[in-house]
Amino acid sequence: MKSALLLLLMAMLGGCASQVLSIHTLPDETPAADNAAAAANAAAFAEAAATASGESSANANSANANSAKDVDLNQPEPPPVTPADAPPMYTYDPWERLNRFTYRFNARFDEAIFLPVVNTYQRVPGPLRSGVHNFFGNLSEVDSVINYLLQWRLKLGWRSIERFVINSTIGIGGLIDVATKLKLPGAPTGFATTLAKWGMHPGLYLVIPLLGPSTLRDGVGFAADYATEYGVDLFHLYRGDVSWGLGVANAVDQRAHIDFRYYSTGSPFEYETIRFLYVRRRLIEDEGLHAKQPRKRPSADAPAGK
Amino acid sequence: MFGTPPQDIAPLPAKVPVAEINVSLPWKLPTPDVLWFDTKLRVYLSAQRKPAPLAIIISGTGSDANTSKIQVLRGALYGAGYHVLTMPSPTFPGFIVAASSTGVAGDFQQDARDLYATMQEIIRHLPRKVKITDIDVLGYSLGGANAAFVKSIDAREGKLKIHRALMINPPVSLFSSIGRLDKLFATSIGSSDAAIEQLYRRLYAQLANLYRASDRMQLDENFLLSAAAAVLKTDAEFSAAIALTFRLDLVDMFFIGDLYAGTGVVTDPKHPPKVGDSLENIQRSLRLAPFSEYFSKVFAPYYLKARPGATSASLIADNRLNVIGAALRSDGDYYVQTNDDDLILDRRELSWLQDTLGKRIAVYDHGGHLGNLGDRQQVADMLRMLAGGWPGGAT
Repeated sequence: MKSALLLLLMAMLGGCASQVLSIHTLPDETPAADNAAAAANAAAFAEAAATASGESSANANSANANSAKDVDLNQPEPPPVTPADAPPMYTYDPWERLNRFTYRFNARFDEAIFLPVVNTYQRVPGPLRSGVHNFFGNLSEVDSVINYLLQWRLKLGWRSIERFVINSTIGIGGLIDVATKLKLPGAPTGFATTLAKWGMHPGLYLVIPLLGPSTLRDGVGFAADYATEYGVDLFHLYRGDVSWGLGVANAVDQRAHIDFRYYSTGSPFEYETIRFLYVRRRLIEDEGLHAKQPRKRPSADAPAGK
Repeated sequence: MFGTPPQDIAPLPAKVPVAEINVSLPWKLPTPDVLWFDTKLRVYLSAQRKPAPLAIIISGTGSDANTSKIQVLRGALYGAGYHVLTMPSPTFPGFIVAASSTGVAGDFQQDARDLYATMQEIIRHLPRKVKITDIDVLGYSLGGANAAFVKSIDAREGKLKIHRALMINPPVSLFSSIGRLDKLFATSIGSSDAAIEQLYRRLYAQLANLYRASDRMQLDENFLLSAAAAVLKTDAEFSAAIALTFRLDLVDMFFIGDLYAGTGVVTDPKHPPKVGDSLENIQRSLRLAPFSEYFSKVFAPYYLKARPGATSASLIADNRLNVIGAALRSDGDYYVQTNDDDLILDRRELSWLQDTLGKRIAVYDHGGHLGNLGDRQQVADMLRMLAGGWPGGAT
């Protein structure tokens, strides 16, 4: 609690204001590095896209082959997603009024408290901040291992175990992400993904206080993740004296890594737009989870998410 | 049009400092309930540590002051030694609510007056340590036309002593350019709800298949950007994306204009929507409305009342660069960069620009609408134009 107040105070001292203008310094932009990263990303992606089109043409071929009764069913690839499979443009949002108020509350909280604190936090030297980020990332490996086990994705689960062991030891308690440098990049997962893997739909759209856009399934998943971490109470960090301060630091670190600003679109329809995009993103992630096995789709006239 | 080869991308500085400035403007109109979040204007300043010229960049239609295009221009200009102030388009909701004196956006003269007053207010209140030696304005797309009109007002009033104005891919006539975008929307997407839904379904399926093949754990921003580039690889799809982006901006402008002008097209002037009300049906109905509908139902009714003697035809004529044609022709401090294949210009408009600007226009063969912004050639020419080193310009 004390550290929360301290952070607040720092944030208030951080800004300066006149009547007409209020000016805050943002982190420096790095256009040269951004250009290089974008080029690398585009190149990496070109490969994936080539694979995708290769795969879909292979599917087309096998469909042709089926019709010609020249069947090879040894590798039953699920068919690609077609436009008819897309969920409707409407989103299932029966709690809209409550959600809209929460969205507004979050926007105000973000502007008044969260972002000023994050802004101040950005002045902490980069290596220290990535240490904090790695530290919390390392703690979450426990939850990832459990969930990969529940999802029966054992290879990924094993990778999480390796990461946790390497980073907790050589990486000095998780402060340094040595594992990624050893070609074991992090791939956190949680109960939300487990529920999705088990075939649960996202369910109703839900704006969670402080956390933001979510769905009923993801909200339950988040609560289960927290309960797991609390239950395991690794290093006695979650129930000990430092838990409050750590909780705040974790929240600030996470917020600093989310490149989203409420109402930066300026649009009166931002709620609708974000809801649309968020739920579609989750549904496409579900498509990825079920890429290997065909599954039943919800009926065509049910709103997206239901 | 996506993906300039790396060797053709202009070199940009490693670091650019940026400060966000939230501005409260004294002439702001009362804010409608549902626009509570737009009460302050958000602009961005990258200041040099020493005295330097100030470049003011105005964003394109419906856009805020920190778009990826703005970031490229800001990087190039800051690297060349300018202080850089970036401003949203006067058609951006955050500008309409916080800085417009009418609430009805899209009029060249009125928008330029609001921009001009806003620039003065900001510059007057900047910290003393920002020492400005000269002022240039530039803008891309609609922002280009805005920049030229701002300079033309300043030429009369002289409050900022703006030196040069550069228009990057500007429209010549607001109405014909937007008409072309509306036509593009109708041909590339369609003009029914079903057509929009089809476009959405196609994009969804393509993204889902790309994602399934990508082996990624999360659908992050990098993936989405690259996927969009992969999906929009043909000209037709790229055009559809431009038309769609424009239409979504227009939906905002239409709704906000209707609220301010009290024209009652989609909102009841006596009972405007409140915080917490669903706006989905309004958005849905406006998605199908072309600019001509905004003009006839909100823009014209408002401006015909505000300007006695005006007619629909005169409103259309007022929103052309021809209005300041004499200045563009005789004043050597106006510059244009555009492309031979820019879809917002027709042949006649392009030759009018060439004829009017003479040597002060650079027309590139390819790039479409803004596709070459940030290319080596475009950036080098832009810097020469603004520095007065371009042949044919005033020195």
